[in-house]
Amino acid sequence: MNRMLARTLVVLGFAVFAGAIAACGDGEDGADSGGFASGEPVEGQKKGGTLKVTSNADVDSIDPGQAYFQVTYQATYATQRPLYSYRPGNTDEPVPDLASAHPVVSPDGKTVTVKVRPNVRFSPPVDRAVTSRDVKYALTRGFFPSVANQYVGTYFGDLEGAQAVSEGKTRDLAGLQTPDDRTLVMRFSTPIGPTAARALVLPASAPVPEEYARAFDAKKKSDYGFNQVATGPYMIRSDAKGKAVGYVPGRKIELVRNPSWNGSASGDYRPAYVDRVDWTIGANPTVAGRQVINGSGMVSGDTVPAPIVKLAATRHKAQIAFSPLGNRYITLNTALAPFDDPDVRKAVAAVVDRNALQLARGGRLTGKIATHFLPPGIPGFEDAGGLEGKGHDFLAKPAGDAEVAAGYLRKAGFADGRFKGARISMVGTRDDRGSQIVLENVRKLGFDVNFRNLSQEAMLAACATPSSKVHVCANGGWLPDFNDGYAMLFGPFSGKTISPEQSPNWSQLDDPRINAKMDAAARLTNPAQRAKAWGEVDDMVTATAAAVPTYWDDVPLVQSKDVQGVVARWNAAWDLSFSSLK
Amino acid sequence: MAGYVARRLLWVVALLLAVSAITFLIFYTLPSADPAAIRAGRQPTPELLAQIRQNLGLDEPVYVQYWRYMKGVVLHFDLGFSYASDAPVRDQILDRLPATISLTAGAVVVWLALALPVGLISALRRRRWQDRLAMGAALVAISAPVYWLGLVALYLFSKDLGRFPIFEGANTYRPLTDDPAAWAASLLMPWFVLAASFAAFYARLLRANLLEVMSEDYIRTARAKGVPERRVVLGHGLRPAITPLVTILGLDIGILLGGAILVESVFNVPGIGRLAYDAIRQADLPMIQGTVLFGAFFIVVANLLVDLAYAWVDPRVRTA
Repeated sequence: MNRMLARTLVVLGFAVFAGAIAACGDGEDGADSGGFASGEPVEGQKKGGTLKVTSNADVDSIDPGQAYFQVTYQATYATQRPLYSYRPGNTDEPVPDLASAHPVVSPDGKTVTVKVRPNVRFSPPVDRAVTSRDVKYALTRGFFPSVANQYVGTYFGDLEGAQAVSEGKTRDLAGLQTPDDRTLVMRFSTPIGPTAARALVLPASAPVPEEYARAFDAKKKSDYGFNQVATGPYMIRSDAKGKAVGYVPGRKIELVRNPSWNGSASGDYRPAYVDRVDWTIGANPTVAGRQVINGSGMVSGDTVPAPIVKLAATRHKAQIAFSPLGNRYITLNTALAPFDDPDVRKAVAAVVDRNALQLARGGRLTGKIATHFLPPGIPGFEDAGGLEGKGHDFLAKPAGDAEVAAGYLRKAGFADGRFKGARISMVGTRDDRGSQIVLENVRKLGFDVNFRNLSQEAMLAACATPSSKVHVCANGGWLPDFNDGYAMLFGPFSGKTISPEQSPNWSQLDDPRINAKMDAAARLTNPAQRAKAWGEVDDMVTATAAAVPTYWDDVPLVQSKDVQGVVARWNAAWDLSFSSLK
Repeated sequence: MAGYVARRLLWVVALLLAVSAITFLIFYTLPSADPAAIRAGRQPTPELLAQIRQNLGLDEPVYVQYWRYMKGVVLHFDLGFSYASDAPVRDQILDRLPATISLTAGAVVVWLALALPVGLISALRRRRWQDRLAMGAALVAISAPVYWLGLVALYLFSKDLGRFPIFEGANTYRPLTDDPAAWAASLLMPWFVLAASFAAFYARLLRANLLEVMSEDYIRTARAKGVPERRVVLGHGLRPAITPLVTILGLDIGILLGGAILVESVFNVPGIGRLAYDAIRQADLPMIQGTVLFGAFFIVVANLLVDLAYAWVDPRVRTA
């Protein structure tokens, strides 16, 4: 399941009860934008105790080499140390975690060298020091068909020899070299190095001991996750043989202290305040939300439904925090007439009522109206115009602008400013009122629409398969894998990502200028230059109107009164290694 | 009788085969996500997709996949692996089964304990205030959606959220083997919520049956012979009136063992119903198939037991 699907699940989570907090977001019922929990670490946080997490969703995979959900990362980053990671409040630049220094990228962008810290140990039963070979194996196994990591192909697919591993021809990834125990050298066939180096924050770079994991990975479907070892402050409770008995799918995750973890002695910045985390899966979201607010020692593990947001935002402000997360958009298929004409696309963009969409999503508390694609917090956001955007006329009025829309249609050859032509197809998801709003908006322009309301999985399949010939997908959205413009824009808008199946580029935008600009931006190592370049890419994409940016989400997170919750901003979820009891 | 039992057992096998085949066909016919594409991520290479399809056996024709699946089920009781969690389906179902059995068994006891006296009193006090009160309450209980009733019960009576904190609330389920007292405490409210509509239905049914039976000639004869009223009611009236309830009880138990989705969801009782619900949401075919087969198994077995009981009681049924 991918981040797009994860995003859609989040969308659904909001949509089901969205209307209930619309008023709350508009400042009624005593709610305003101030006074909420900051989610930042504070001085003198208390040590010890048990933190209770409740979530409706289960992890997508307990295996750090497969984990990809926002929910999952909460457990993964408490138990594993990737090469780099983000401190809770700082999403701009990752810091060395398992690595001892920032990665060194060669001038041609084809080689990345990373140094691994000494003194980091695996939890029992392996209980030995981590070496660079363990990182090599971790990244390599991501390409094994038995593991099938969802993002290694995207960011590390250009490693020399990666394809041979993913085809099952070899288990040795030639592009990863370990000249000594502390050094990992990554050789790419393209200048993707600067971007790949940033992707080393992902959990596929957390070390895996080959001699232990080999037998699990050799099966048709690896069960290493159910027998994993940890390098982080916590581990899933396991028996003497290493079986992770603390994880029961769909029921619970028990995290206990990792006896092999030696904290700051191995360069780990995580304070790991609580002694234990008891995570209950499958909780009814509304009931669980109330339990968290009324109860003791609890935090929400996934999306909080609107009634709970309203309750917390009006009566328990100190118990709710908000964190930005990704974007939403409507895609217009540039490979199909009439949306191969930019003016027709701009007409649709102009008529979409983003105010109504915001209200349908839950009002101002749950996000901001988008004017481009890079969301707040992602480098390049300000370069792309910040909250106001760059002033494209077709996105100037959040409530929609029928005059501007008619003008673009006239420019496209429709003299009376109304579209006349063949029927178009549009796909939305059930339970999402936003789809209906988009449908009505598009119909206003004269479009004859064949609208299909599908389950989210079916919607994803239809929109990601070009042969389905869907003109408009109303429920697009993207979560970044890490805080970088590449992770936000390359997948959904590069012509290189168009594929017959599972294509993330729903608009099928294949603009040589944008593709080239993206390639150039991906090669930049300087953070400021990189942010500027991706900001420019963002504006170029916005100007094509291949998709209509509608919303930048703010994720609500709730905690009990006696919890000092700390938010991992890059993941928009509680950071279990930093949160504590009061 | 042996021939009858053999015939019915063959039907059970045929029915389970049909259920499994239909589930397979539905999954492949209706629009759904491709499990290989879901696993492969957002920018998979065709090679990776092909490898995953091969690993999951999705590259084979549907009938070959079905044959392989059924072979695993019959020969090794192997229900495959979940696409979502990679865990063995059999282990997950067996892990959830005790919770479902606990929920069902307790609810059955509660609803019978409520329905039998209420139905009896209603029939004996027909059109009096006891009858009207009981049947009015029964109507409310039947009409109230279980999901809503569960939430109301939680917000009224749970120790952590309720106005009158009496019972343990949601997310408190403990297995019987861990702590019997905590097990019972965690299930008290789910038992009552699940039992409410069943108790109401059974009470109404018993009342109607009993009213019909009590107007039979043999009841009048018994009374005319001077048989004490208590014996007339309990000995001559209740037994025939209760027989249809036994039939329905068997089927209801079978259905509930297949999972009480709503109650399990509201109270987070980790049973088979919620497992099935999650599997459907995630297009997790092996888990859907496993839970459907288990549910169907319980229903047909319950049906079989009821039929056998009837055949044993009434020989005419065997040749019907």
